[in-house]
Amino acid sequence: MRRALRRAAACVLILVGLCALLATAIAPYDYSRQFRETPNAPASHRFPMGTDDLGRDRFSRLLYATRVSVVLAPAAALVSILIALFFSAAAGLRKQWANQALSGITTLSLSLPWMFLFIILRAVLPLNTRPLASILVTFGLMGVAGWGWPARIFTASISQVMHSGWLLQARAAGISPWRIACIQIWPHLRAIAIAQFRVLIPAYILSEASLGLLGLGVAEPLPSWGNLLAELQHPDRIHDNPWILAPLALLMLVMISLESLHPTTFLHTTREVAV
Amino acid sequence: MTPLQSRLGKFLLIPQRLLNRERQQAVAHRESAIHSGLTSPFSNRLLSNLITLVLVVLAGGFLAAALVRYSPGFDSIPEDLNPAISAETLRALHQQHDRENVLPVFYARYLAGAIRGDFGFSQNLKQPVTELLRQRIPVTARLIFWGTVGGWLLGGALAWMAVWTRRTGLEAAAFSISGFFLAIPPAVLALAFFFYQAPLAPALSLALLPRIFGTLRVLLEDCYSSPALLAARSRGVGPFVIMARYVVFAITPQLIALFGAGLMLAFGLAIPIEALCGVPGLGALALEGAVSRDMPLLCGMALIVTLLVTLVHAVGDVSTGFAGEHA
Repeated sequence: MRRALRRAAACVLILVGLCALLATAIAPYDYSRQFRETPNAPASHRFPMGTDDLGRDRFSRLLYATRVSVVLAPAAALVSILIALFFSAAAGLRKQWANQALSGITTLSLSLPWMFLFIILRAVLPLNTRPLASILVTFGLMGVAGWGWPARIFTASISQVMHSGWLLQARAAGISPWRIACIQIWPHLRAIAIAQFRVLIPAYILSEASLGLLGLGVAEPLPSWGNLLAELQHPDRIHDNPWILAPLALLMLVMISLESLHPTTFLHTTREVAV
Repeated sequence: MTPLQSRLGKFLLIPQRLLNRERQQAVAHRESAIHSGLTSPFSNRLLSNLITLVLVVLAGGFLAAALVRYSPGFDSIPEDLNPAISAETLRALHQQHDRENVLPVFYARYLAGAIRGDFGFSQNLKQPVTELLRQRIPVTARLIFWGTVGGWLLGGALAWMAVWTRRTGLEAAAFSISGFFLAIPPAVLALAFFFYQAPLAPALSLALLPRIFGTLRVLLEDCYSSPALLAARSRGVGPFVIMARYVVFAITPQLIALFGAGLMLAFGLAIPIEALCGVPGLGALALEGAVSRDMPLLCGMALIVTLLVTLVHAVGDVSTGFAGEHA
């Protein structure tokens, strides 16, 4: 049963990933093209999910939004993991004081709630941020700000490995620190890095959705799941066009699929880092 | 193994070899934890938390001061709008303004003000930041309190149901409920409650549920799979007696840590909920500050929030250490 569930989840994720990557080919229209004669149109052959209040095709916008959210969340997660690995390795392979300094910095960075940090950092940026820049800023900030949690886990693992007998032997044999890091320590960290990467992806997807709902995420006209969800602030429109709920349904489907792949690790940590 | 657990073991007539094995495991676990640096004496914990708190004030204050100092519009002075003042006089006034607000000087002044409780003046709302915080904190605190109570009740009940019954169907149902709420952005949950004119605290509870459930389930599973408890269950001791007399005491340190983490998480979740649903708390204030680029307000709030979060973390950490040492 569990295996079947995992296979189904993997199939869903592959399908969504393919749709995201092939959005340009699949989408009938460009995400910003306006049909001004048909705003808020219901679902039809011409517009499979209807149009929004600016007359843009919902289906095309959902495909492009999927590409933004599904492709960039893993990219931001990768940035976080790389930063965390770099600092943890640099601190772990050096003296005790470097380790303590890193621990202090991660404590400080984890003290401030994410959402608050994003609100402040987005407020510092210019009001007329271009859509592409807003994507880079939103996911870049997530990538840079989210390194604290994995860094703490990597540091603990490196510290454990550094006290092992075989590593002492390697150091006594005169092997250089970076060679030890690449050949001896990395195989131990790889599984943790992959697990953290998997946990950060849904966390970033959820964070982008919350930011988009607040109007602090990806800027219009570029669509993301976050700014498409902002339409839910007008529930009276749902009755006329239930396809407004499509981004939420797709987001939930992806989250549940990610969850089904790794139920235990997911539940432990996703809510810890996401808001 | 705590003295209480030992007494409970005798009370429940648990075989001595099971008690001995648990005692040996507990000693080995504590020794390994001490050697790996995971536990430290109470005073060390207290000291390190105090140092962290001071560092947070210094680093947070510096960042806040730097953001306010270099925010757009800080370099303008009221005389800029006076056409009677000559360009040379204006240049001299700007130079004086810059000299008086060099970052280190500005930082020292900002920090001294913050220590006295003066976090500056909101440019947008034309009120002292301290006064605004005093008005808004109780609203957020009420939402967090009721949301956390609900989250613990729901998450705890779900975790207990999943662990105690040992039925695959119930466990799967608990995972499904938790997973369902984890998949919904908290802001969407809040919007649903808002449009049905329901109170918002349950939305926060449902958003907290997966986190509480995830950790409590693991804690309870570890606890309920111990030989002493298996023996107690096999002798027909009721679930509530076991929960009250064994489980709660055994996992107290972890519960304290989870409570602290849950509070911080609840605060993070409360921000979008308040901002979207128009609740006049800290979340709405932060969004107002961000939209109007009110840097003194945002930075004052950031400093206060970081301090509160670090304080909660420190109290949780010290209490965990205290409970752990006395367990």
